[in-house]
Amino acid sequence: MFFLRIVLMALRSLWIHPLRSILATLGVIIGVGAVVAAMAILNGMSARLEEGFSSMGSAMVFVSPNIERRGGRSVGNFDSLKLEDADAIDKECSTVTRVMPQIRNTAGVKFMSKSTQASILGCSENYPIMNNHVVAEGEFFSRTDIMGSFKVAVLGSKVKRDLFGGRPALGEKIKISGALGARTYTVIGVMEEKGNIAFTDVDQQVIVPITTAADNYGLDSIQMVICEARSPADADIDRAKDEIKKVLRQRHRIRAGQQDDFQVQAQKEMVEQFGSFQAIIAVVLWSIAGISLVVGGIGIMNIMLVAVTERTREIGVRMAMGAQRGDVMRQFLVEASIVSLLGGALGVLMGWGLATMIQNATRVMETITTGWAIAMALAMATGVGIISGIYPAWKASRLDPVEALRYE
Amino acid sequence: MSLIEIRNLTKHYEMGDTVVRALDGVTLTIDEGEFISITGASGSGKSTLMHLLGCLDRPTQGEYWLDGALVSHMTDRQLANTRNEKIGFVFQTFNLIQRTSAVENVAVPLFYSRKAHVRAPSLKALERVGLSHRAKHKPSELSGGERQRVAIARAIVNEPRILLADEPTGNLDTRTGEQIMQIFHELNRAGVTIILVTHEMPVALQAERVICMRDGLIIMDGPADDAFLTRLTGSTELVDKNENASIPTARPAAKV
Repeated sequence: MFFLRIVLMALRSLWIHPLRSILATLGVIIGVGAVVAAMAILNGMSARLEEGFSSMGSAMVFVSPNIERRGGRSVGNFDSLKLEDADAIDKECSTVTRVMPQIRNTAGVKFMSKSTQASILGCSENYPIMNNHVVAEGEFFSRTDIMGSFKVAVLGSKVKRDLFGGRPALGEKIKISGALGARTYTVIGVMEEKGNIAFTDVDQQVIVPITTAADNYGLDSIQMVICEARSPADADIDRAKDEIKKVLRQRHRIRAGQQDDFQVQAQKEMVEQFGSFQAIIAVVLWSIAGISLVVGGIGIMNIMLVAVTERTREIGVRMAMGAQRGDVMRQFLVEASIVSLLGGALGVLMGWGLATMIQNATRVMETITTGWAIAMALAMATGVGIISGIYPAWKASRLDPVEALRYE
Repeated sequence: MSLIEIRNLTKHYEMGDTVVRALDGVTLTIDEGEFISITGASGSGKSTLMHLLGCLDRPTQGEYWLDGALVSHMTDRQLANTRNEKIGFVFQTFNLIQRTSAVENVAVPLFYSRKAHVRAPSLKALERVGLSHRAKHKPSELSGGERQRVAIARAIVNEPRILLADEPTGNLDTRTGEQIMQIFHELNRAGVTIILVTHEMPVALQAERVICMRDGLIIMDGPADDAFLTRLTGSTELVDKNENASIPTARPAAKV
């Protein structure tokens, strides 16, 4: 009851200067907003990471050209990996059960007057089984289509919707732009709706035979070979990696002691790599949040010091009426916490809005705002309020009643 | 034992190198139900005495017994409890909390004694000062006299043993001041001990007993009768010249 009265009293004092209260809590608003947005982004990334690889199974090994970033530039041989390498791994590596070479690019796709941007994936017929992503209508392309570099395309569900709406797409001719100009493809299938696989929205994707894609872009190399080991067990993965390395070193004529011109990574290592990237983002976001909360705390302390000075006489009167020093302290602490908590609530709304905006603006990045993140942000705001309220409240409680009553 | 017993009460302040003897050994006894005024020029020590009587401050030396308890040796916490339970304050500038209504202002002492029900006793206190119809008004919506009545209601809401009023009519016109004094008389008749601190002699003389102070000492203490008046007119320095003229008329008016 007493506490409730103190809360009401605090709300009333804050309401006297609404603008001042909001300005005082601006730092907390921004800080909490940053916390909520940061957690939404990080949660989104984690979920994406899990989801991205879960549909692929965890026995995957990724082979790519050895490209490193040095001084902000990519260094290495981009063309070291050839389609023939993929065939060789398929044939010669007994520890590898399936192989899928791939080239990925972004291009405009057109049907009649409708057009859209899509991710163009050139790959092999193993795509559906290795990605656990199957066709909803029509069929996926076959080994024959790859051998003949046929201009056939399988559309992601969103691309299909964008270009054809509700009308059937099978058998229609679409145009995909490329390095050598737009080329016409026949739609032979539409994939089922899936969402994301390995950070790509596969519904906004057009899949074509890898040989056709290479032709379209004038490439004689491929970007990646995805190989499936016998099982996700570490021993099987390591054996597959070793065998792939051996085959490729031989094919690329790399002598003993010389560095590989390709890299072989297990899915686990990829996940770890993304994990450390995520950790860096987390540090940056949490630093922003932390600094804002400190600044917010200073803002609240400042405004509370002003409030204590302004209300010196009131404090004297309250003491004369029998308020204990603890009562005075509690009054100002509650006021500081409430102003901070209200700032926190506004911050939650701001952070939520920010996260949604980021999601809408980037389209790729997903954000997840959890109740837990909101509760934590509000708890942090209240904590900041209490900590920054301690000194002003203590100062108020130590006032001499006689002096306070005399204060003009 | 008397309600208030003060023995050799001293309060010294250090102002730089010099020591100000605000109260220089005062001995005083006040019985329950008395109506006393403490008067004197500014700097006479009457405010200091009031702060000590009101348990707002501790003496440098001496003893203060209030209602059988030794106040002069109390902790902050005990002092706050004593103020809350036994003393009601009325100030010159009313000192109401501006952002809350009259009835909420009256409830403040109840709030600090952790009373579960504050509304009914607060309204009752307002009724005693004739302001129950203004309960929901903010101080800014009330006249000076009404504000002071709210302050009196606040002072009596916890049914204290003593009502301490510091220049209660100082910010009011004569007529309103008289109304306020009337309320004090009514409360006194109902049994409340009233201690009025004022430098206005006409106001002071409305009490049954007047205590005059100078330089931290009590120089006169006695009933406000003709003998007192005679002594008072003899020592004109205690009285402001313009107020001196109104002494005879003010006294009978209050004694009605």
